Amino acid sequence: MATLAMRTGLDFRPANVYGVWLRHWLAFKGGWLVDSTAIVIEPLFVLLAVGFGIGKFVEDIQGNLSYQEFVAPGIIAANAMWPALFNCSWGAYQRMENHKIFETMISAPVNLSELAAGEIVWGATRAAMTTAAVLLVATLLGLINSSLAILILPLGFLVGLVFGGMGLVYASIAPTQHSMMLIFTLIGTPIFFFSGAFFPIASLHTGLQPIAWAMPLTGAVHVARGLSTGDLGMSHLYGLLYMIGLASVFYPLSFMLLRRKLII
Amino acid sequence: MIRYTVRVGETPPLKDPIPPSFPPLRFRLFVWSACNFLMSDIQTNPIIKAVGLHKDYGEFHAVKGIDFEVMPGEIFGMLGPNGAGKTTTMRMLSSVSPITAGQIFIDGLNVAEEPRKVRDRIGVVAQHDGLDPDLNVHQNLVTYARYFSITGKAAEDRAREMLEFFGMDQRADSGIHTLSGGMKRRLTLARAFMTRPKVLILDEPSTGLDPQARNRVWEQLFRIREAGATILMSTHYMEEAAQLCDRLVIMDYGKILSRGTPDDLVMEHAGSLTAVIRPTNGSGPAVRSKLESMGKDVRERGAALVVHGPEELRKELGQIDNAAVRFRVSTLEDVFLNLTGRELRDE
Repeated sequence: MATLAMRTGLDFRPANVYGVWLRHWLAFKGGWLVDSTAIVIEPLFVLLAVGFGIGKFVEDIQGNLSYQEFVAPGIIAANAMWPALFNCSWGAYQRMENHKIFETMISAPVNLSELAAGEIVWGATRAAMTTAAVLLVATLLGLINSSLAILILPLGFLVGLVFGGMGLVYASIAPTQHSMMLIFTLIGTPIFFFSGAFFPIASLHTGLQPIAWAMPLTGAVHVARGLSTGDLGMSHLYGLLYMIGLASVFYPLSFMLLRRKLII
Repeated sequence: MIRYTVRVGETPPLKDPIPPSFPPLRFRLFVWSACNFLMSDIQTNPIIKAVGLHKDYGEFHAVKGIDFEVMPGEIFGMLGPNGAGKTTTMRMLSSVSPITAGQIFIDGLNVAEEPRKVRDRIGVVAQHDGLDPDLNVHQNLVTYARYFSITGKAAEDRAREMLEFFGMDQRADSGIHTLSGGMKRRLTLARAFMTRPKVLILDEPSTGLDPQARNRVWEQLFRIREAGATILMSTHYMEEAAQLCDRLVIMDYGKILSRGTPDDLVMEHAGSLTAVIRPTNGSGPAVRSKLESMGKDVRERGAALVVHGPEELRKELGQIDNAAVRFRVSTLEDVFLNLTGRELRDE
């Protein structure tokens, strides 16, 4: 009976999710200076180099929008991806395989569904931190045109949930530590560059456009741009729903795969 | 009817020799034995009980049907070479590994049916430390306690108490990477004991420690037991098993080969005395056949031959041609090698 409750997720202790999240928060506080540089400085370099370096050579996009204004929300949304993906793939793999922390947690009364939720929500928290920092700078640079843009913050959290889940799924099926690199080179990088953050998807070859639209980040970039310009439509709602759908698929998948890997 | 024999010169007793009692003696005896019966039932109820335990990994049978019971307050040992199935058994006990067949009860709970409630009640120290390198000593303890719903001041107090108990109060703020192997092991013990578990499951708690650190760990295990916990531990150190364990099982190839107290096992499988016979150059086969002709069970142990037996062995084997004979007390190591053979594992 209890195992049935476990399988169906009825036996779920939210306090444990907070416990796992708090572990990450403590670890983060321990080395926050180093971590915050990754959070803030890297996306700023991208924003400055692409927006003001490359941007100089680009004409206005989509009517009266300057390239800087076009690219800023894209960069904000796209940069929310990295911390979540990194924490839940590379970081989670380290904790699981090298430090055996997952094993410690599941020997304590923590179920994998709670552990996975804690990992993913922490990834999303990191994503929201990055989003907040870059959003602030972009606003100060005058690249944000609408007060709706404050909603990019929860959007960044959602991006974190999606990519945290994706990272954890990959960490639970990756055969070796070395193969963990693949999620960055084969999945992260193409998503980063081809999800419409840096150029309109419409400028891609028509055959490639559906693929670009299906990428997990595209919806977020689209919504972020809508929020930044204040020009919203149904397509933004679909984008949002697509992201929520992905997050709710990756999360259960991640803890089922973790169970297969760890409970042996 | 009581009859008094009154002799001349003696005063007769003033009272009955057996005063009438209330409640009547028969009733009191009944209550007393009933209490005893109930108490004995509580005292002899095992806190860990494994019945017909099996574990298969695909075609490989890691554990092939073992049964054992651990009584409350005991230190119970599982002794065996690498690959004997000790770790697998302990992982099943702590419900992180599904049971292929058989049942485990811990504190009356079926591990397969109520794994989470079982994990609420036990502390686990795995072979790897499983310490969090991103947290300091104190944070490792408090974070772990939170998974058992011990938070806030209760967790802080307990952490302080544990660090004191395990002699690490000076290192509360140290990073994990600065700790020695022995300290890390003590920290894992402290962490497991943070929640005052009824049962501690320790997988090779002193592997990789130097003798000083090992003795320190042993001392602390005794103190944990004194505090009322039951300890189930695996080891392949004979001395550890002999010193620490009240009772133990010797396992190999997924089966229990023998069980008992360390002393009983030694008496049963290696007698009280062991004769170590070192034949001089080239005379090994001759000495061996001589011993066998005396009806002795001869075993090879390195370059020497050993014969187990009672004290009389001293006289019997006192003088063997072409061999140096030395006598020593039999140990658990003799039992272990006799039962599990000499071949190397992990190869």
